Amino acid sequence: MNARALNNVLLGLAPIVMVLALWQGLCSFGYAPPSLLPPPGKVFVRLAQQLVSWNFLDDMLATLTRLFAGFFIAVALGVGIGLAAAVSGPVNAVVRPLVQVLAPVPKVALYPALLLLLGFDHASKVTLVAADALFPILLSTYYGASMVEQKLIWSALAAGTPRYQILFKVILPAALPSILTGCRIGLVISCIVVFLAEMITSTDGLGHLLVGAARTFQTVDMFVPLITISLLGLILNGLLYSLRKYLLRGFPEV
Amino acid sequence: MRIAVSRLSPLLACLGLLVAWQLAAMLLHTDSFPTAWQAILTVPDVLGDRESLLNILDSIRRMVIGLTLAMLVSIPLGLMMGRSARVAAFFNPLLMMVYPVPKAALMPVIMLWLGVGDASKTLVIFLGVSLPVIYHSFQGAKAVEEKMLWSGAAMGLSAVQRMFRIVLPAALPEILTGCRTGLVLALITMVTSEMIARQSGAGNILFNAMDMAQYDTVFAMIIIIGALGIVLDAAFDKLRWRLVAWAEPRQDILLGAS
Repeated sequence: MNARALNNVLLGLAPIVMVLALWQGLCSFGYAPPSLLPPPGKVFVRLAQQLVSWNFLDDMLATLTRLFAGFFIAVALGVGIGLAAAVSGPVNAVVRPLVQVLAPVPKVALYPALLLLLGFDHASKVTLVAADALFPILLSTYYGASMVEQKLIWSALAAGTPRYQILFKVILPAALPSILTGCRIGLVISCIVVFLAEMITSTDGLGHLLVGAARTFQTVDMFVPLITISLLGLILNGLLYSLRKYLLRGFPEV
Repeated sequence: MRIAVSRLSPLLACLGLLVAWQLAAMLLHTDSFPTAWQAILTVPDVLGDRESLLNILDSIRRMVIGLTLAMLVSIPLGLMMGRSARVAAFFNPLLMMVYPVPKAALMPVIMLWLGVGDASKTLVIFLGVSLPVIYHSFQGAKAVEEKMLWSGAAMGLSAVQRMFRIVLPAALPEILTGCRTGLVLALITMVTSEMIARQSGAGNILFNAMDMAQYDTVFAMIIIIGALGIVLDAAFDKLRWRLVAWAEPRQDILLGAS
């Protein structure tokens, strides 16, 4: 079994190595001029340099601030509204059609409106991130909470749990796996959206670095923010995965 | 009666949102936030203008091409990953790495390589759509009952035949869910990449109008793009329902991803 797992890891590394080799090959055999595609070594050296420079860290911090602000607003609203819609009929009747209409709307199209209403500062970007991350979290909370087994609720009631505590003691924990799945989707979406918003209009942040580099044709500097945001996405995803494992200890395998 | 209510409720929701917008705009009363009514009145002007109509149609054409190409590549790939653990182990880590990359943000890099034309915009849409379609096809193929495949093999179906006659139909509901996510994503990627490239298309009209302080046009474009999303999604859902009415109803609102 262990040999097989190792085999799979090697198998999975193969395409990543192949992509890097192809990249290096294109550069060193002269198919791609460095002005269009800088060699990978140069990009990663530049990334390492940037990661210890204060200016770059400042931009990263600005991006992360907006990312987390938007994401946590989305979690609070999504879980709150999702739970409310799952347990209360009237709330459901209002929320359901609204979500049905708003979920397929490309939220990024609202960005100009947000800029006009909230200004070019943090607020408009945070709102956009929250709006995009909200729906996956809301929907998975809703589906998770409405699929809680009725028997669990009856047992809790029979055991003397007051009605108002059912929500926090039975429904919320039972819906937790689904909620956390929604949060994971929402987190990756937040990463993507914050970067895009910064690319469209911004004066700082990783997305702004990419646009600035593109305007002056600094190809190496174009790759650095792209790789940084992907790494941030992977790291945050990994952190959330550990949190999930910790919170769901004792749950059957999900 | 219940069906009539559930049919009408999305319309009521739209109406409610528009009324809320109208009231908010009337309360705030600033130039940069026109009322819903003003914006709706501007929609025919935008669509009647030859140039912007052509721009929007061009955007939609690129979106359809990118989406079709992505489905042609991603569905077979996802199905193969779902049926073979080795193929899955081969592609999964690479896809995991690519997942958090904002696809529309690749626009400046791809524009360096392929120019500002259709090719780069279509490629970005292709990239944006591929992952969810692969993921859902993968999940769908993985969940196919082994027994059906064994029976197929016992009746003498070859591996390729089993793929087309058993795996594909069995995974179809899940594949179509992926395509629905992909459809909305294609629209999002299209608008975003046009906002970043600022060359042509619906996203460009939006920001050009904003730069020229034509706020009515900005909000009219938002209505157009939003309506496009709602209509495409509803149309696809109808189609999906036709194709896989036999499947158990699943989540009827898509989970979405950017």
